[in-house]
Amino acid sequence: MDDRAIEVRLPDLGDVGRVKVVEWLVEPGSPVEMNDDLLEVETEKTTFVIPAPATGRLARIVVPAGGEANADDLLGEIERG
Amino acid sequence: MVLTVEHPPVITLGRSGKPEHLLVSQERLEREGITVVDVERGGDITYHGPGQLVVYPILDLRDHGRDIKAYIEQLEGAAIDTLSSYGISAETRPGYPGVWVGQKKIASIGVYVRSWVTRHGLALNVEVNPEHFAMINPCGLGVDVVSMADLMNSPDWDAVEARFLARFGDRLGCTVVRGELDGLVKETA
Repeated sequence: MDDRAIEVRLPDLGDVGRVKVVEWLVEPGSPVEMNDDLLEVETEKTTFVIPAPATGRLARIVVPAGGEANADDLLGEIERG
Repeated sequence: MVLTVEHPPVITLGRSGKPEHLLVSQERLEREGITVVDVERGGDITYHGPGQLVVYPILDLRDHGRDIKAYIEQLEGAAIDTLSSYGISAETRPGYPGVWVGQKKIASIGVYVRSWVTRHGLALNVEVNPEHFAMINPCGLGVDVVSMADLMNSPDWDAVEARFLARFGDRLGCTVVRGELDGLVKETA
């Protein structure tokens, strides 16, 4: 894997069942700063705004808005720099 | 920081909120003085009102291991511990958010986390007007709700609040210190 690519993974939110990706708050290709609001996910109990894990560019969205994911799934990638 | 609140009657629609889970007309709501508000928390529709203990922890989860799952378990667990101390046996049910006594819901939960800071929280029915709850399909589940008052004699909101905060503090590993909102506002002004 490219050393510059930082994975955005879904943390464990508890709850049973899959987590829904509500909205990506950054356009693919756009720059992001570490800790910027990156995307919003939700379960029946929780809405969690996932912060960007690194500064760089949102290189790839793996699970788009409307998609579902399990804990630790890859949601997207940030290219560092 | 934890805010504890008793709301005037209000119906809130969360991010999964479906308007068809509101079962009465706008006119009826106006007659009863009940407002409807869209909110950013997780979860569907719920009611807040007199006789309900609403708890809003505002915690930076970076001080708590960035563990959202644990936070939710602490919040639910504090409700279960509190009820248990009154002899009421309650539990969580996988796939059914909230805290349950048998098939009836006694507390609802809806949490929002941004920049690792928590908003919204949990609402525990101490002695809630059942006619108001009948105006919604709570959390879209078509379930019965229950209050502590249905299960014991005259629960006191203040006493339940104090006990909840103590139990929540225990689970967080913190000591809960009481302050007044007025004092807080003056300090930040």
